[in-house]
Amino acid sequence: MPLLLIEDDLQAAEYLVKGLRENGYEVEHSAEGRDGLAKALATRYDVIIADRQLPDIDGLTIIATLREKGDRTPVLILSALGTVDDRVAGLRAGGDDYLTKPFAFAELVARIEALRRRASTQSETTRLKVADLEIDLISRRAWRAGRTIDLTTKEFQLLEYLMRRCGQVVTRTMLLENVWNLHFDPQTNIIDVHMSRLRNAIDKGFAKPLIHTVRGAGYVLKE
Amino acid sequence: MRLSSARLAFVFVALFATGVSLLLTAVYFLTARVLDREVDAVIRSEANNLVDEYMRGGLVQLVATLHRRADNWGRTGAVYLLTEANGYPIAGNLAGWPRDVTDYGDWIEFYIDASESGGVNQHPVRAQALLLPGGRQLLVGTDILERRRLASRLRTAMFWGMGSSVALAALIGIGYSRRVRRRVALIADACRRIMDGNLAERLPIDASHDEFDELATAVNRMLDRIQHQTEILQTTFDSAAHDLRAPLYRARVRTEEALQHEDLSAAARETMEATLAELDRVQRTLGTLLQIAQAEGRGRQVATEDVNLASLAREMVELYQPEAGTRGIGLDYRGGEVAELRGSRQLLAQAIVNLLENALKYVPAGGHVTVEVTTSREHIALVVADDGPGIPEHERERILQPFVRLERDRKQPGSGLGLSLVAAVMRLHDGTLALENNDPGLRVKCLLPRARS
Repeated sequence: MPLLLIEDDLQAAEYLVKGLRENGYEVEHSAEGRDGLAKALATRYDVIIADRQLPDIDGLTIIATLREKGDRTPVLILSALGTVDDRVAGLRAGGDDYLTKPFAFAELVARIEALRRRASTQSETTRLKVADLEIDLISRRAWRAGRTIDLTTKEFQLLEYLMRRCGQVVTRTMLLENVWNLHFDPQTNIIDVHMSRLRNAIDKGFAKPLIHTVRGAGYVLKE
Repeated sequence: MRLSSARLAFVFVALFATGVSLLLTAVYFLTARVLDREVDAVIRSEANNLVDEYMRGGLVQLVATLHRRADNWGRTGAVYLLTEANGYPIAGNLAGWPRDVTDYGDWIEFYIDASESGGVNQHPVRAQALLLPGGRQLLVGTDILERRRLASRLRTAMFWGMGSSVALAALIGIGYSRRVRRRVALIADACRRIMDGNLAERLPIDASHDEFDELATAVNRMLDRIQHQTEILQTTFDSAAHDLRAPLYRARVRTEEALQHEDLSAAARETMEATLAELDRVQRTLGTLLQIAQAEGRGRQVATEDVNLASLAREMVELYQPEAGTRGIGLDYRGGEVAELRGSRQLLAQAIVNLLENALKYVPAGGHVTVEVTTSREHIALVVADDGPGIPEHERERILQPFVRLERDRKQPGSGLGLSLVAAVMRLHDGTLALENNDPGLRVKCLLPRARS
């Protein structure tokens, strides 16, 4: 299914549409809020990417209208307002994710991917398995090739987040937001140190590494 | 406030009561004196008349007059007695010469038994005793019971008057004090709401056109001005945010787009990547400025929740411990497990992160940073202490302002906004930020009020 981009900045929209198409997505663009809402109601989309500030009706109103009509299509809000409260307002209005402009293109793709997959995620499981790596969500223990791996609480949360998104690119900002619940970017790159610790714990001594660095984007856990 | 209006009412009541008492006491004494003088004048003139008659008509005429006068006894209450030099009564309505009266010409007071319808009663008498030529004695007086009753009634009335005026004054005073207190409380409440960020709120005016209305009107006009300016500032910030971010956004998207081309030279690629890094830096500075503006402005309410500052600080320490480890700096959390307050978790987390990043940036390898959260009865203290170079005392105030950096740190990357944001977040939470000497190093102490349970 295609993506819908509602963005009034035509120049930026052009680049985004081009970039997304190059990444293999089918994208429709709407430059106005009203038109975007009409499209969203008429067609089924995988993910809607809506700018928060639009000339006619703003992004939050679009989301609220969609939700009122029972449309649960995942919505990613793009906003030039980056304060904590704007984010809260965006998510409270029914948005599923929030990205402050300007953002790295890789960040946008990773988030679209996360929203697409979330829509198709199956019911809750108590065990996750990727190759020979396995974790138990109830006892909060991890094994690789049958051998127990000792992890701290945060390391376990980090691993769980990666395993739930097996094969998807996860950005540093996504990890800060979802594992540490921090909705701002610290100046220091603190995520890489935590990732290298986690790598040491699960990949060291195994021929096939599971955690991979994606240059300019983040990390991916895959076979 | 409560004390001062009550004190004012008390002073008012005391002054009023003193004034009324002085006035009534003066009225009483003046009235009593006038009454006394009147009685004395009547007695004196009657005595003079009788002496005249004795001089002119001798004993016979005086006795006749006294007999005639005695008929009127019941009506006038006059008392007469004429005796021989040895005290034997000749005429008058008194049974005998009162005992102990030897000073002629003086005023004397004594009691007589007066028979009335209810029986025999003691009546007070005021009189003058005179020695007539030839040694006879004459006593002229009057029953002063009525006058005494009048004086006593006057006294009673005076006390009632004083009592009721004091009571009335007290009531008025209490009422006035309550009214003042209520209006001051209303104004204080409105001020608190305004300080909490509701700039549209105004002080109440009750159309009584009193001093409070005058004050409230003036303050409201001032608030109109402030609100107007704040709105302009807010709009400016919002459009600056939008208008600066839109070109940044386009520049970023475009540069990234260009980086996709395979045929780029290594030098061009490097330049573009550096440009992206610079764009991110500008974006971060802009974001921090907006965050400071929002925290300082309070114009837009910041969403609050219950935050356990102790566990938040511990989490942030754990987040930075690996990074501190790679820099050879010891980072530890010390302190309690629970320190509840109402606030913005994100802003508080950002404040702690800024303090930690500052410490890690300036403390050399081998140094130590400790984070401590402690609670007292009224406050939660967050302390980030290091053994790094510290901040000279004369710079500690200045360094909290936006874009201010120490001269020695010019070579280090940084925006000069980190501590400003911490200060703004503390102010937003009604807390304070103090930079202290850790001997050696810097000790940043944040004091926040505890959540009311």
